[in-house]
Amino acid sequence: MAHFIEQIIYGLTVGSVYALIALGYTMVYGVMKLINFAHGELFTLGAFIGFVFLGTLSWGSYFGPALAIGLTAILVAGSTALAGHFLERVAYRPLRHSDRLAAVVSALGASIFLQNVIMVVWGAQYRAFNASLLPTVVWRIFGQSVSLVRLFVFLTAVIIMLSLYLFINRTRLGLAIRAAAIDQGAARLMGVDVSRVIALVFVIGPALGGLAGLLVGIYYGQINFNMGQMYGLKAFTAAVIGGIGNIPGAMLGGLLLGLLETLADAYVSGAWKDALAFVALISILIFRPTGILPERVAEKL
Amino acid sequence: MRAFFFFLSLLTMVASLAVFAPGPAQAADPIRIGLMAPTTGPWANEGQDMVKVVEILVNKVNSSGGINGSMIALEIGDDGGTPKTATLAAQRLVTRGVVAVVGTYGSAVTEASQDIYDEAGVVQIATGSTSIRLSEKGLKLFFRTCPRDDEQGRVLAQKVKELGFKKPAIIHDNTSYAKGLAEEVQAMFSSLGLVVAYFDTITPGERDFAVALSKIKAQNPDIIVFTGYYPEASTLLRQKREMGWDVAIIGGDATNNRALVELAGPAAAAGYYFVSPPGPGDMKSPVAKEFFKVYLEKHKQLPSSVWSVLAGDAFNVIVEAIAKVGPDSTKIANYLHHGLEDYQGLSGTISFNEKGDRIGEVYRLYRVDEKGDFILRD
Amino acid sequence: MIWGNKSGVQSRSIVQVLSALGVGLFLALPALLAAGGLRGAPYILDLLSMVGLYALLSLSLNVILGLAGMFHMGHAAFFAVGAYATANLNLTYGWPILATLPVAALMAGTLAFIVALPVIHLRGDYLLIVTIGIVEIVKIALTNDIFGLTGGPNGLIGIARPVVFGHRISQPRDFFYLIWIMVGITMILFHWLENSRFGRALKYIKEDTVAAEGMGVNTTAHKLMAFVIGAAWAGMAGTIFASKMRTISPDSFTFGESVIMFTIVILGGSGHQKGVLLGAFLVMGLPELFRDFQDMRLLAYGAALVAMMIFRPQGLWPPTPTQYRLPDPYATKYPRGDKPC
Repeated sequence: MAHFIEQIIYGLTVGSVYALIALGYTMVYGVMKLINFAHGELFTLGAFIGFVFLGTLSWGSYFGPALAIGLTAILVAGSTALAGHFLERVAYRPLRHSDRLAAVVSALGASIFLQNVIMVVWGAQYRAFNASLLPTVVWRIFGQSVSLVRLFVFLTAVIIMLSLYLFINRTRLGLAIRAAAIDQGAARLMGVDVSRVIALVFVIGPALGGLAGLLVGIYYGQINFNMGQMYGLKAFTAAVIGGIGNIPGAMLGGLLLGLLETLADAYVSGAWKDALAFVALISILIFRPTGILPERVAEKL
Repeated sequence: MRAFFFFLSLLTMVASLAVFAPGPAQAADPIRIGLMAPTTGPWANEGQDMVKVVEILVNKVNSSGGINGSMIALEIGDDGGTPKTATLAAQRLVTRGVVAVVGTYGSAVTEASQDIYDEAGVVQIATGSTSIRLSEKGLKLFFRTCPRDDEQGRVLAQKVKELGFKKPAIIHDNTSYAKGLAEEVQAMFSSLGLVVAYFDTITPGERDFAVALSKIKAQNPDIIVFTGYYPEASTLLRQKREMGWDVAIIGGDATNNRALVELAGPAAAAGYYFVSPPGPGDMKSPVAKEFFKVYLEKHKQLPSSVWSVLAGDAFNVIVEAIAKVGPDSTKIANYLHHGLEDYQGLSGTISFNEKGDRIGEVYRLYRVDEKGDFILRD
Repeated sequence: MIWGNKSGVQSRSIVQVLSALGVGLFLALPALLAAGGLRGAPYILDLLSMVGLYALLSLSLNVILGLAGMFHMGHAAFFAVGAYATANLNLTYGWPILATLPVAALMAGTLAFIVALPVIHLRGDYLLIVTIGIVEIVKIALTNDIFGLTGGPNGLIGIARPVVFGHRISQPRDFFYLIWIMVGITMILFHWLENSRFGRALKYIKEDTVAAEGMGVNTTAHKLMAFVIGAAWAGMAGTIFASKMRTISPDSFTFGESVIMFTIVILGGSGHQKGVLLGAFLVMGLPELFRDFQDMRLLAYGAALVAMMIFRPQGLWPPTPTQYRLPDPYATKYPRGDKPC
């Protein structure tokens, strides 16, 4: 039993990172019906910008860990948001009225481009975050050792997701996003500036992805230029499991995928765990063809 | 009409490729030596170091008057770390008229290029491809400056026994290198009478191995053998410490990278063992000292692993052979097989056996100390 | 326009002559290169063979993605099954390479049928992620040496070369011809398929699934059939790939490979064979042309992809809308003149 609880804790940490990234996929998809394949690279970018401040400039030793992480988080969110905005302007806006698959290929191209820009700027080697940024404190909960940093990652992700949820459901801008996601044309008629909504989505999504990158950097301590590939694919899977386009769905999907993977690893086989995660995905889609919490769209007639 | 323009555009593309490829080599041409390395893709860090190392050596030879008066032109081919790109890179290097090629890193990638070089009559010296079968095919023009997996597996298993451990667990990362080595080690353990408590794989590129560690812990081994690469090794070290579990870990030569300590943090890395050919910091011969001085001046830090240095050595022996017998691949191969003896390379003395494998015991046991330095044990 | 005749017979025959000339020039390329004494000939021919192989794969993907409009980003899975089927038959039972072609097609087609059956009804992007899942599962299965048939991460080595009428295909020139002749046959067959009743039904499904269903087209069966045909063809491309590389390992059948095929189809012109061919040239050729950029090579390639997509959102060479010339309705429908009153 103790072993089981331990696995659940691991699964939730991994899953909360997936969920954060999945939010970026799902928000963009909800409004634009576009799979932003370059999102994984924005996540990497966030990790590397965090590395500049916490690693290269080692702000941790000047400001103390809490302030340094706070300041870095703001800068990371800001700069990945900016990058996301430019990405939308350059690679997606010209294709807004074209075939959807054209935008997908443009996204794939942008992903290759961004990944290699990161490689050229920061080099191909693995980069290490300051390992002693957060103190190595280990608590015993239910007889299990839980480290402070793991808890920090999980709680930060949950706080970010909750604030996003409140933003979407309790503010006018959030209402506009939801309206544009359901029907762009009708939303426009109701006075929603859809272009602004799209711009907004491309600011929030990348910022969340960037913050996820920062969290991965702080917790796992190592980053490299192609880390976004694996995380991006997993997060996209999570978004689909939850029902792509649905914001609570992405959170649920992320946590679920994290748990699935961890339990498959612990109780079946490490070599097959990713395959089992995909089998689970396919089975979920067979029985619920649009994910667990589907976006609300009617079949076109 | 469109169809015609279509074929016209295709022919233009083909023609532009033809322009990039040079004409037949002439007497006044420099001697062309190829370097096939993964300068993009997942192993771009290794590939880019390989280029840095070899470029310095090329400059050195050319600034001191070339080989018997002829300059060297280095042709770089990016293999992207995948077999498919490697075949094209190899064909292109052949096209450029290289007489010998240095590289490459990954075993599967080297394998995809072997036939092409062999058929074209180009000497190939692999630098990081340790898979056993590469030199078992009877190719006359194939060599390597790195050791083989069976050698490493033997040394690794022996050191574990000598250190007094009784119950090892083995993990690999399902890459062809790590799995081969893990199986080699497993076989050696059973012949040495050690009981393997656990044998499984982790997924490379991931950041969380807590699950794997907790599974291993349940088997209660006294040492973990990890045969994969340094990024995963450092994550294992870090998370093992986080779990508050005090068990020894020993790794293979792919973890001989200074970044290991940086990534894991010195506290977590302390006590980590690995077997490897001596790293750049332990190459104390005058040749090596002189080389690394130049390298440090130019690139501010040492190459991060031993593999790029082995690319330098591959280049060095090619130059040595050409100086002795001229730029002819059969003669070069013949010289490397039989003539070259105890050449003073950066990584120690070099000679090759009949299969093209490097002769000599190169593996050493290292331990990471409390400051994070790699200390040579024997 | 739909009912109109094309602008005269004359321009059409000029097009035919010129394109025949183009094909002839292309096929004579090895001879021309050899005559020119270029050292680069094997490299160019090898590159063109690689282009041809991906053209073959993308043409088969085009049936699924371009004609039937199913978002399929996992084509490398079927490519892999074909390659491993060939490798196993050749290495274990000593089958000649070309004899394994039908088996490779059958295996890939069967797998496609089994995996597609439960998911074929999924809407666009959900199908996309399922196919990505399939290619990932296949790759993991190959890496884990499933049924002891795949050799694990090392893959399988020593696959034989194909033999055609006693001639052993091993040189770049031989592969150039083998692959491009297969591309030619594929184009002819798929052109015929596209214009058959079945192909027209697929196009209908792509344009409007519900309307097609309403007109009595069994959409599920048609989609499944298209999926199986495309997959079987990819399996045969796998046979060629295995015998060309002689070594296959899971590294060659990643999600990234599927993305390359997907990009070729969409970039070239979804649903248009010549467009797909052009796409194969660009997607395979550009990274090679950019080799002189060294580690900036893929950076330039990614930027070029984005630029081309923005420049030509419908693909570089999209299909022209199909024109049907219908005969006088009364003449055929009521040949004996007994019009309904």
